[in-house]
Amino acid sequence: MEEVIWERLRDANIPVLPMIRASTAAKAVDAANVLGYPVVMKILSPDISHKSDVGGVVLSLGSDGEVEAAYHTMMERVISMVSNARIKGVVLQKMAQPGLEVIVGAKRDPQFGHVIMFGLGGIFVEICRDVSFRVTPVDREMARQMILEIKGSPILGGARGRTAVDMEKIIDVITGLSLLLDKYPEILELDINPLVVYPDGAYAVDARMLSH
Amino acid sequence: MTLKSIFEPDSIAVVGASASPGKWGNSIVKNLLDSGFKGEVYPVNPREQEILGRTCYSSVLDIPGPVDLAVIAVPISLVFEVTDECGKKGIKGIIMITAGFSETGDEGRQLEKRLIEIIERYGMRLIGPNTLGVVNSKIGMNASIISRLPNPGGISFITQSGTLGLALADWTMEMGLGLNIVVSTGNKANIDDVDLLEYLDEDSNTNVIAMYVEGVNRGREFMNVAKRISKPILAVKAGRTESGSKAVFSHTGSLAGSDEVYSAAFKQAGIIRVENIDDLFDSALALSVQPAPRGKRVGIISNGGGASIIASDACERMGLDIPELQLETRERIKELVSGFASARNPVDTAGLAGYDVYNGIVRQMLLDPNIDAMIVIYVHTVMWDASISARAIVDIHRGTCSKPIIACWMGGAGTEKGVNILKEGGLPNYPVPERAVKALASLVKHHGFLENVKERV
Repeated sequence: MEEVIWERLRDANIPVLPMIRASTAAKAVDAANVLGYPVVMKILSPDISHKSDVGGVVLSLGSDGEVEAAYHTMMERVISMVSNARIKGVVLQKMAQPGLEVIVGAKRDPQFGHVIMFGLGGIFVEICRDVSFRVTPVDREMARQMILEIKGSPILGGARGRTAVDMEKIIDVITGLSLLLDKYPEILELDINPLVVYPDGAYAVDARMLSH
Repeated sequence: MTLKSIFEPDSIAVVGASASPGKWGNSIVKNLLDSGFKGEVYPVNPREQEILGRTCYSSVLDIPGPVDLAVIAVPISLVFEVTDECGKKGIKGIIMITAGFSETGDEGRQLEKRLIEIIERYGMRLIGPNTLGVVNSKIGMNASIISRLPNPGGISFITQSGTLGLALADWTMEMGLGLNIVVSTGNKANIDDVDLLEYLDEDSNTNVIAMYVEGVNRGREFMNVAKRISKPILAVKAGRTESGSKAVFSHTGSLAGSDEVYSAAFKQAGIIRVENIDDLFDSALALSVQPAPRGKRVGIISNGGGASIIASDACERMGLDIPELQLETRERIKELVSGFASARNPVDTAGLAGYDVYNGIVRQMLLDPNIDAMIVIYVHTVMWDASISARAIVDIHRGTCSKPIIACWMGGAGTEKGVNILKEGGLPNYPVPERAVKALASLVKHHGFLENVKERV
């Protein structure tokens, strides 16, 4: 599943952070060197959807030694917490530069079919529920309206001395997701969370997908 | 297929008609006879000879002439036989009052499937089952258990709640609201919202469509039909507080509850979503008698400062603007009122509510290119006659005014005469400013939908 979603996102021209999978500690170290430090390590298992809840995510690994140690610790922790999970190794990702975190998601509604959600990430989506929705297909103008519609939208435009983020890139992601949903009606739920947005560009840093 | 047999029949059979007052089978016959329906009404019941002075037939097959519509209110065990007979008779429309179908669970769902098989076999169309019926006030047809026929008017109402339909007639009479078609959809086993919207779009007597929705069956088709309809469509969606799915796979999954999805779908289809039934009919009233404004810049006049401030605040909350008047307009207004009055928007007449003041100021404000719509407030005091100010506004309205005017005659007792003049003059009136502003906001919203959402045909 983990693999499939990244492939789908890349197909939809949604930019994703470079990542390499590894099934041993040594291969993880090699991968980290190819990507360049610092890196993030995530458990790779079709049975675990909330990776961080089971110790399956480690951020800011800065050296070969740290990667090797993290690999062993992660395997032990995950296996002790979810003993029956199939573990396929880990995924190493280049650590994302700090940027503005937003969420772009989708759900298939029983009456209306696919809907797309947009919101600011982190506490904004979890606590304030400051999100907007559109039934697909969503074109660029509708995507722009979705972004402007949330209460926190001035933050994207560079409120309080922040630099404005790349709104066109978010629109690309929303419309790309709309096309992707069109192509794969079996998708039930999908979150790109976070999509980290910069003044120039954006990256899907994590994503989850549930299909029929 | 056309729904004319259901909404505009020439002849109606009431299957399960009863001679006992208080029974539904009796009320329906009585309502049809009392409502002024010009066509034939045939009671059907094998145990009766005559009901309310009409010959009673033992089966629809015994009725001598053709029948367009059958209203069926028999026990569920007899439903299949009598529906089959309706098919044989060549009846095209069925209103199935009888309940006990899919709304009761799996067993009922099976019964409903069986019913639909019969309906489809004969190419009939069906409202319900589990409906309280259909009203078409234009042709005086009350094929329902709603005891009073609403006043005729341009608003048609689709309700998924039967009891709401029942409460409706009295309510609308109180509000001075004119209804055209009222349809209680019941289980929507055959005719659903999509069919009804298509029919009401073509119905020349309907100019506003109001809906009470619990859920729609064909979401995408529903949106597509609504998008093609330029008549205002208003909807209350019940279950507003329902949260998303309980299982937390994704944030989107947990946040996209059906309510959020309906909001998005309505907005994308150009359906004005309102909070509750009060708002539904307040807005429907304004939309049925007033033109849509070109923009959202509102002019407000009042004879008492407080009311216009409340109205201005409400406008701001609802996203409507209160612009400055043009200098020329302000000067003309100053000529009409005493030096104490404010000639700025909202205009305060400092207590004056005479004919010339109200007529003159509102006229000037409507001419101002900065103003798209007017809210005219009159706060009743014993010093003034509420009917004079009402006449002053109605006289403007009767002229060639393309900008909407919403009235708010406050003060209850003593304003009745004025309120009646407004009503007769086609001005929507509300007893408090917030309701007037909400209704105006719906007009503005509809204009926005016409510009940006609705597909031009």
